[in-house]
Parts: sequence; structure tokens; C-alpha cells
Amino acid sequence: MSGFFYSVALQWKLDIRSKSLLVTCYVVPLLFFLLMGGIFTSVMPEMKQTLIQSMIVMSVSMGAFIGLPPSLIETYGSEIKKVYKANGAPAASGLVTMFLSAFIHLTLMSVVILALSPLLFGAVLPDCLPHFFSALAFYIAASLCVGSILGLAVKNQGKLTMIAQLVFLPSIMLSGILFPADLLPDVLKHTGRVLPAFRGFQLMLDGGFLPERLWYFILVFCAAFIVCGILLKKQDAA
Amino acid sequence: MNDAIQIHALKKSYGSHKVLKGLDICIEAGEIFALLGVNGAGKTTALECIEGLRSYDSGTITVNGTMGIQLQSASLPAHIRPMEAIKLFAKWKQAKADCAMLDALNIREIEKKQYMQLSTGQKRRLHLALALTGNPDIVFLDEPTAGIDVEGRLSLHDQIRTLRKQGKTIVLASHDMAEVEALCDRIAILKDGKIAFCGTALELTDHVSKKYVIRVKTQQGNQILETDHIEDALLSLLTAFRQKGIGVLDLRVDRGTLEQHFVELAGRAEE
Repeated sequence: MSGFFYSVALQWKLDIRSKSLLVTCYVVPLLFFLLMGGIFTSVMPEMKQTLIQSMIVMSVSMGAFIGLPPSLIETYGSEIKKVYKANGAPAASGLVTMFLSAFIHLTLMSVVILALSPLLFGAVLPDCLPHFFSALAFYIAASLCVGSILGLAVKNQGKLTMIAQLVFLPSIMLSGILFPADLLPDVLKHTGRVLPAFRGFQLMLDGGFLPERLWYFILVFCAAFIVCGILLKKQDAA
Repeated sequence: MNDAIQIHALKKSYGSHKVLKGLDICIEAGEIFALLGVNGAGKTTALECIEGLRSYDSGTITVNGTMGIQLQSASLPAHIRPMEAIKLFAKWKQAKADCAMLDALNIREIEKKQYMQLSTGQKRRLHLALALTGNPDIVFLDEPTAGIDVEGRLSLHDQIRTLRKQGKTIVLASHDMAEVEALCDRIAILKDGKIAFCGTALELTDHVSKKYVIRVKTQQGNQILETDHIEDALLSLLTAFRQKGIGVLDLRVDRGTLEQHFVELAGRAEE
């Protein structure tokens, strides 16, 4: 177990040293938050009710879909995975440590948004913080599950950039964080509901943390567990 | 001597391409054993099957002891520092990093650098240190000195000899015949997925070439002679020179280099 805990702590440090992850998990989301937070709350003052949840959805989507998968490709698409295996680290250790490290980074980013939003833009804090943080944990984990599948399934960075955008952009546009999802045509509305961003946004809203909404997240966790297991086994046999 | 590794009838294919067609090798404990072959002969595949990094189609592999593995093409996360990598894998192996080994490989000199800032030689040293972490009984070295300058190469050779003195079994794959000749007790040559030869360098010479080449430099010029019977040839040659009153300035006898014998046996498949 000490190998596992050291791996997570080390990965967290490596993520801080890696400029790309710093940009996707902190710099861009913070800039977006500072810029759009001001615009949203000026143009639509009612956005103050949901600003924290909206900005968190944007940040988590960016970190999970644009930030995590390239790190996974760097390990699983290269000789690094063989070195890990040759030196006694289980095949899944890279995935699990990167997942947990990214989870910590995205939680920290979310806390920064939560703390700054009321101060900078007069945003309304969630009614029930334990429910909010529970919803946040479910949402971040589900988004990272999707990011993990992307990082293991796609072998090439160029292709990954394109596919990650195909998940990231609909997550932002169709989740209801920029405008109410009900205004969308039916096809887009239903497409948006498949993505963790929509579900996470609903779950984090006041009164939104309902047990019947958790089935979606449990389904995503189970599917990701099975798919990642298959992908890792496939890589191991190659 | 006990066998550290026994391989019997090992077969491995990639699709329809048969890479290993029934490999049989016994590697004795405490020896430095080289696995040679031209590019694509299946050296790395064979090593990775023994190391447990690659599945194989049929055959048996028995490894008696713990393994330390230095891969041919190895990499680590760009931002990791050498001591962090050593500590990480020491923890996974439930072992402690050996300070004497780290000093011998000069790892402490580079401990502040990140992996992406290391030179090829420094990376090789780090990967050797990772392989040796946990004090394994058997050490696999795949092209350990590729891309390293002469000084670094000699230093690594010293390290390998030290490991042998410590009683470790070393399995080496290399294209550098001088390195193999200088370090190894026995060699195996892989050709067409099978072992074409297994024995000492001297046995290889006997196997490939019976002829001795005598190069003589006299006051009257140079002469080259080939013979199967060195004693008789030398005796008659020197007697003839003496009788004719010809002074011998230099005389050399050789049976070709390991590289020549390797090329003759393994063929020039890569050209």
C-alpha cells in the first residue's frame, strides 16, 4: 500500500511540475471564471444563483477531458508503462494515481471558485455545503471516468485533441450552464443529458442532490471500471 | 552449477509472423550470458517473454530468483526526478534503495534534475539503478550501453563486472561485440527464431572457423598464411625463414573477431 500512496503523492507533484496540466486545471479555468463571471453576472444578474455551479462545470470538464487524457497517453502510449510493469507496479497503478491526483486538483480548483465567486461577483453560496461537496465529488469522478476512457482508448495525441473537443464542447454548450437546457431543440437536449456536465450541474444545484439522480453516476462508474479494465488488459497483452 | 533460467521450446508469433520457433536455453547462476542476433531476430521478444512482460504461445520458462530488468527502450514521466523514481519503484518492490549502488552509479549527481533533462548516459544509469533496486538475483540488460560515450561505457562495464562478483546472474542483449567479448562467459546466437549457437566465445570460434590466419612481417615484406594446424605451420614457417636467413620483424596469429564469427553465423539479415 505504501507504493500506492507514494505514487498518488508523487503524481500530484508531477502534475504541478507539468505546465500542460497546470494550464488546463488551473490557469484557463480561472481566466474563464474571471472573465465570464463578470460578464454573466452583469448581463444576467439571475446567474448569481448558479454561477458557482456553472463555472465549476466548465473547469471540471476542461480538466477531465482536456487535461487528464494526454497524461494517460504519455504513460500508456509509451515505454513508461513497460518500465512500471518491469519494476513491479501494477498496470492500473498509473491510471488510478492520475485519476486521484486529477480529482484532488479539480476539487481544489472548485474550492477556489466557490470561495472567490461571492467575493468577486456576489454569487450565492450553495444552501447545503455537504450536499454540494458530495455532488461535486460524484460529478468530478464521473467526468474523470470519461477522461480515463478517452486517454486509454485513443492512442495518438492529435486524434485525442479532436475527440476530447467533441466531448468538451457539447458538455459546455448543452449542459445548461450558459443558457437553460430547456431552450435547446429536443435532439440537443437529449444529447446533453448523456454527458456528465448536465447531470453534475443538476446535482450541484440547491436541492439537486437527490438519490434518484445518482443512478446515472453509478452507471458511469461501473461502465468506466469495465471499459478501463478491458483496455488495460488489451494493452497488457499487446 | 544451478540453472538460473531454463527455457524450453519457447514459441511466440505476432499474427502470422513466427518470431520464436522453439527456443531452448539454460542460463547458469552467476554467469554473464549474452543473447545475440541481428535486428529482428527476436532477442527483445525472447527477453520480454522471460521477464514476464510479454505473453508467449507455448513452451516453458523457469526463473529461479528475483529479477531486475533494464529495458532496451525505456522511459519515465518527463518531470520525475531520479531519486523519486527509485523511491517509487523501491516501494512497489517493497525494498529499500541501496545507497552504495546509487553512489556507484553516480545517481546522486543527477538527483536534482528532471528525467527530461538527463542525457542518454544518465538515463541508462538511472534505469540500471531501477533494475538493481531490490537487490535482484538475475539482472536483464537490453542494450545497456547503446548511445553512451566510451567513458560511460567503461564505467557501466565495471558495474556489470561488480554485479557478477556479487554473484548475480546477468543476461545481456547487445549489438556491441567488443562489449560481449569483454564481459560475457557464454553467448547464444539467435537466428530465424532458434538458437544457432550457444557456448563460449572460444567455442564459437571453433564452431565457425577452424582456420588460423598468420600475418608475418619480414625484411622482405608482408606475408599472410591460412592454416588449420597452427603448430605445424608456425614451425615450418619459422624454420624456413631461419634457413633462408630472413629476419622476422612481427608475427601475429588470429582466428577472426567475435564480430566476424557472429556475422558469419547469424548472417546479414538486416542489410
